[in-house]
Amino acid sequence: MTGYIIRRCIAAVIIAIGVTAVVYALLAFTGGSPAVAALGTHANRYTIAIWNKDHGYDRPLVVQIASYVWDIVQFKFGYSYKQGQSVGALLNENAGRTAYLSGAALVLALLIAIPLGIVQAVKRNSIGDYVATAATFTLYSMPSFFLGLILIQIFALDLHVFPALVSDNVTTTWQAIVHPLQLTLPILTLAGLTVAGFSRYMRSSALDALAQDYIRLARAKGLSERLVLTRHLLRNACLPIITLVGLSIPGLLAGNIITEALFNYPGLGLLFYDSLQNLDYPVLLAYTVIGGVLTVIGNLLADIAVTVADPRVRVD
Amino acid sequence: MTESDPPAGGGDYEPLPGDFEPPEGKVAAGPSVADSLEELAETGAGLAGLGMLVPTAGPEGGEVQILASGWRLALREFASNRLALVGLGVLVFFLIFCFFGPLVYHTNQSLTNPLATDAAPSAGHLLGTDDNGFDELGRIMYGGQTALEIGFFAAFMATVIGTLYGALSGLAGGIVDAVLMRFVDILLSIPLLFIVLVLATRYSATVVSQSLIIGLFSWLVPARLVRGEVLTLRERDFVAATRIMGGTQTRLIIRHLIPNALSVVIVNITFLIADSILLIAYLGFLGFGLAYPIASWGDMLGNAQNAVTSGYWWLVFPVGACLVLVVMACNLIGDALRDAFDVRLRRR
Repeated sequence: MTGYIIRRCIAAVIIAIGVTAVVYALLAFTGGSPAVAALGTHANRYTIAIWNKDHGYDRPLVVQIASYVWDIVQFKFGYSYKQGQSVGALLNENAGRTAYLSGAALVLALLIAIPLGIVQAVKRNSIGDYVATAATFTLYSMPSFFLGLILIQIFALDLHVFPALVSDNVTTTWQAIVHPLQLTLPILTLAGLTVAGFSRYMRSSALDALAQDYIRLARAKGLSERLVLTRHLLRNACLPIITLVGLSIPGLLAGNIITEALFNYPGLGLLFYDSLQNLDYPVLLAYTVIGGVLTVIGNLLADIAVTVADPRVRVD
Repeated sequence: MTESDPPAGGGDYEPLPGDFEPPEGKVAAGPSVADSLEELAETGAGLAGLGMLVPTAGPEGGEVQILASGWRLALREFASNRLALVGLGVLVFFLIFCFFGPLVYHTNQSLTNPLATDAAPSAGHLLGTDDNGFDELGRIMYGGQTALEIGFFAAFMATVIGTLYGALSGLAGGIVDAVLMRFVDILLSIPLLFIVLVLATRYSATVVSQSLIIGLFSWLVPARLVRGEVLTLRERDFVAATRIMGGTQTRLIIRHLIPNALSVVIVNITFLIADSILLIAYLGFLGFGLAYPIASWGDMLGNAQNAVTSGYWWLVFPVGACLVLVVMACNLIGDALRDAFDVRLRRR
């Protein structure tokens, strides 16, 4: 198993380097000139040429890519000329709030999806099962901002329970945690999307597990239904969830952009959205690369976790 | 058909027993009939794809029915799935509603009308008007046109690229396959919304440019699926037979492997359409999609937050419901097709 994990890690490193290189190359071909961003649109050709030479943008693309990969390895993310700050500082400032939003949404989604999937499997083909399937299928087909708008309409405007926008006073992660009302709707929006993805798998995996002999044995030896479900079914039915959590990272990152833009919650997603509007390419480049690398890490962790948790899939 | 291929209907090919025998005169005449019949004979063993080309057989065409049965069964399975028919009905309804609706329901979508902005639904404007004074129902129709056009075009392009790439990779095998597939792994690791948003800031938004951006980055899943199919197909006898007869690589891919991997591709294309329509809505919502004067559902929802807080529900919920219904219809059709073909498929 160690051999497999080591090989898997090496592959992940190669793919992460590839992601960095491809994103850099794509932006170099299509993105705006960093010199224009730094010097303004009225800079003349000579100043731009000198600036490019000073900052290494006159080198061949391959060399630029290699040096960018090396920078990323050292956690140097470049400099945002539009904001006059290093990209690393900008990302660092916002990462905590986004991590809190995504983490809370992910935990909430798991707390809903796992019991829901199991109950649906146990009571399969009942009215409740059909309703739940229809609900999750609808959520699955819904853009997250529309879910957010529905939640705003119901909970903020009709019932006046939660605010429609996150208050401007929520500036630190700590404030976000101690003011749970402010973040309830964004977390629900992001979680709703994730639940939609998870519960279908959870239901089918619980259905598979229910048909196994060890469940019949547990029932035959007189175990109460509750113990059968919590002791025997839950652990086995949750195996695919490990993979799903690992693979949910790109969805969460994308969901963050939409949710944070909708609720005006200052995190990495809102930073990305603002940078799109300002055409702040160093930030866009860095966050896209980070998103890609996080995705690779998520895949890797999912693979490793499944190998550790489930002896049946161990290779070697 | 290329020059290097065995001559159509040549004497050196003997159909195997049980293979398809073209019934004389049963198939519509045309210069390519001989070719396609020879194709059928050649691929008889593993045929799935060309079954569609076989016309519905009469009583004498028993052999034809056997050939087409894979598709027939799938079709019957699909037709017996009520949810699938609902999905298909919804999709057809929206195609008619969006493309033919404006012919019946005439609205002004080009000149803003400052005197009639944000008007509530009334007899003159069934779903009210938006902040430019445009009729909302009419705008939903035009927005639906662009959504469906981009969805179909992007999915079509992604499927063509992905199918060819996957077939090539699976067929080449060895180091070429490994390199091509690592490239797919790399692109799949880049969050799609990120790269699409970044590119959307660079190119002015038109139906074509947005379809290209989405299509050029969503061929990865079909490529993987087709490669997987090809890896199993290429061990089959009819592929070896084609090779021995001197068929070129291009012919092998286009005439034999892709038709047989088609069921996987067809299932995936419905999901691609759904995903592309969602993605285009995200772009529009964030302000990087099609915008005034072109209508798009995402852009119409871009201002939705103000509309909701101002109580203009007609600017938010009807268009959002249309979006959800279309995407849901595509997903329903996709799920049903997957069950019908019974292929082991995973989205993403």
